[in-house]
Amino acid sequence: MVKEVQVDPQLLTKAVDKALGMGAEYAEARYHRVTGFSFTLMNGFLIGASYMDSTGVAIRTIVNGGLGFASTDSLEENDVLESVSRAFKGARASSTIVKDRIGLSRERLGNAKYEVRQQKPIGSVDDSEIITTIQDIYKSLDMNIGIDVKNVLLGFTYNIEDKIIVTSDGAFIESRIPRVNMFYSITAERGGERANRWNQLGGTGGLELIETLKLKENLEDDLRSLKIYLVEAGTPPRGKMDVVIGPEVVGLAVHESAGHPSEADRVMGREAAQAGLSYRRRMKTGEKIGSEHATVIDDPTIPGSYGFYLYDDEGVPARPRYLIRNGVLDEFLHNRETAYAMNTQSNASARAKEWWAEPIVRMANTYFAPGDYRFEELIEGIKHGIYIKKYMEWNIDDYRWVARYVGLEAYEIKDGRLVRPVKNPALEVNSLEFYSSVDAVGRDLEFQAGTCGKGEPGQGVPVWFGGPHIRLRGVRIL
Amino acid sequence: MNVVELVEEIVKIVKDTVPEYVVILEEKTSTMLKMANGQPSVVQSWKEYQVDLYAAKDQKIMASSFRFSKPDEAIQKTVKIIDKLQPSPLYAPLPDPSGKPYSLVDKTLAEMAITGDVTRLIEDLELGELSNSAGAISVSVEKRVLRTSNGADLEGARTHFNGYMRIFADDDSSGQWSWTSTKYDPVQAKKSISTAVNLAEECKKLPRGKIETGKYRVLLSPMVAGNLIESVIRAASGASVIFGMSFFRPDQIGQQLASEKLTIIDRPLMEILPGYSTFDDEGVATRDKPIIEKGVLKTLLHNSKTAKLLKAETTGNAGIIWPTAFNIEVVPGDLNDEEMMEILGNGLYATNNWYTRFQNYPEGLFSTVTRDALIVVKNGKPAGCAARARITGSMLDLIKNVEAVGKTRWPIEWWEVRLPSLLPHLLISEIGITSE
Repeated sequence: MVKEVQVDPQLLTKAVDKALGMGAEYAEARYHRVTGFSFTLMNGFLIGASYMDSTGVAIRTIVNGGLGFASTDSLEENDVLESVSRAFKGARASSTIVKDRIGLSRERLGNAKYEVRQQKPIGSVDDSEIITTIQDIYKSLDMNIGIDVKNVLLGFTYNIEDKIIVTSDGAFIESRIPRVNMFYSITAERGGERANRWNQLGGTGGLELIETLKLKENLEDDLRSLKIYLVEAGTPPRGKMDVVIGPEVVGLAVHESAGHPSEADRVMGREAAQAGLSYRRRMKTGEKIGSEHATVIDDPTIPGSYGFYLYDDEGVPARPRYLIRNGVLDEFLHNRETAYAMNTQSNASARAKEWWAEPIVRMANTYFAPGDYRFEELIEGIKHGIYIKKYMEWNIDDYRWVARYVGLEAYEIKDGRLVRPVKNPALEVNSLEFYSSVDAVGRDLEFQAGTCGKGEPGQGVPVWFGGPHIRLRGVRIL
Repeated sequence: MNVVELVEEIVKIVKDTVPEYVVILEEKTSTMLKMANGQPSVVQSWKEYQVDLYAAKDQKIMASSFRFSKPDEAIQKTVKIIDKLQPSPLYAPLPDPSGKPYSLVDKTLAEMAITGDVTRLIEDLELGELSNSAGAISVSVEKRVLRTSNGADLEGARTHFNGYMRIFADDDSSGQWSWTSTKYDPVQAKKSISTAVNLAEECKKLPRGKIETGKYRVLLSPMVAGNLIESVIRAASGASVIFGMSFFRPDQIGQQLASEKLTIIDRPLMEILPGYSTFDDEGVATRDKPIIEKGVLKTLLHNSKTAKLLKAETTGNAGIIWPTAFNIEVVPGDLNDEEMMEILGNGLYATNNWYTRFQNYPEGLFSTVTRDALIVVKNGKPAGCAARARITGSMLDLIKNVEAVGKTRWPIEWWEVRLPSLLPHLLISEIGITSE
């Protein structure tokens, strides 16, 4: 079971008791440790390596309806208990001008320990051997593909996240989640024109993920995409047309335009000055946003996923959340604070990046539910359109309404066939148009790893996002 | 254990194992008041040590980072693995130390950060009066100690006060502004909050503007200018150039790449901005330097490693691996705000933005999304307030098209402008805009 915990859980209980003794309505103590190893290769050469250790204790208290958070990177009793005082003081001071009291929903809380199993455990192989393994993958790539590959920056990270969470209303969760993450950036040139591709792969588990995440295959495929971009791709057609987007683009789109706007704290305005607001302030739950083919789910419990967890950081058991169900806006993502404010139940969306971070509402693994079309069937019904397989640039406004996805590898479709590659087609579409225009959904399902940013200080947390190929009718290409 | 003792402990572990090292220990105490819907959403308070350890042996490099007060185990691992690594193409010997210690501590700020009590902030900034506000206000005090194997023994201490506030006059009318300083400056903070209030109210009064996709003259507020200039600064880092993630090339130094109206300076020694430091992460003395001067690319930003690879000298901008600027200053022009609007004539005034992303780093192709008040200007006067739009194009075109620079500057630092910056308004003669 969970090993190498450096803190006595009794200290966390003591911290919670101290806060209650001071008069807090609620208190929570979280021991949070993330340790790991990473390195970076440039064109196959090791340019540097790094160990990281981020360890500390976070305290949250609610006092007179005000919320206070304090944390320390010391595991000494005095420092932890001093953090309790700081959290209490902050909560009490803010309560003086609080109009709507902050509270937490009543929940069935967990008392559990869990650990993600590793087939090839981190630590079972010398870290220097991992470097060699990744270098061997790099060396096996064929770079003579008709473009000048200027630079390949390739990074590898493993880490192990240990947590113990104790709350004043009875939660006790001890967990260990190991993760592997790899990223790369490829820059290539041909005839004075340059292009680059960035990609990230990640999952929970051990070093077996180096193989299962298919680093080599992804690198090869992205080199091929850059060649297509630099050698073959021409100007895209523009205007309203039918568009097929691949799982990489679909995954990003549902993360940005279904996942983020469904975060209840964003809907309530808690992140208004940072990550922004949500169109779901105006569109109500039960309102139609898409065709019957559009179903978007966020599920923390997918085994092996980068956003995996079984209990959230407030002790609530995780489950799949339906954000859009058959074209209708469904659940928000809730932590206990937003659930209390909206008079409902948490669905276990509270996550904190490390010990220095408050648990806020986050996605885990968000995906567009697959249908039953084969890829050929999706494009055979298109007279003139575009297929966007991969993207580089994207963004969305702070109400999560109008998004832009610019294709890296993309093709023009004529009479149901891919006829030529095209460069930088920009799909700009609002969320209602996007989900309403879906008329066919592929049977495939692929996930991408990402680091989702939110909060102040910024908390980048691991997530997956994915989906099948989908077909959009009559959307705008710029 | 105090900071110096902790550094001694780390040096003791490191020095007998690796011939070259840098130990940087930062002790930081900070408090942040977050606001939402016109009331505090949370008060956060931190007390932490961050240790950055660089170790080199036989041209092999480790650069580890710890946010833990007792990182002994990870430090041991760092120095133990180094023999098994391979020489790094980035390796360069540590430069001779030339930095000096500094102390730039505002006692009021230090006390507020240490006690974690936000009562004074709430009162001084009259936060209880802001009916529909969201934002964050931070105070911190930090002490930084740097030791290197070639004799650097430096300490720096500074305080930091920054914040930003978004004000909603109604659901479609908002304004946002920020401030930053090394001193407790509630006057500047209130001025920035008032600017956000004024933008929100002005937007509410104006008719709803409709924008067609096309090319526009655009006035960038200091908030927007700061976000986009940060991309220029990132591209000017020697590491971005080496790693293929820059739209600058070393052979462009000395070339006119931007408008002659534009001068961007890295200002580590500007005392009012919280990036202030007299030494970099290799112990080298920092210096103020133009990155772009009257449109000419003057230098990239270097540490000893990027300097070696790009055949240049360190500019005192280490980052152990990734050189970076400390504070940014854009040299002001001579036009006041009204004159800037007059010169804009017909176009858009973008007051805030976010989500800047690149389609193609080496070509500089990007887009960014406006948020808050986007004011349609006709004949030099506000004529409407539009929904959000996108600014799209090439970053190189954007800096070429700087037509005018404002006289009044604002100290900006927020979620989308991480480098403390002193910035005026910038008028861009032509840039792409897309809209629904």
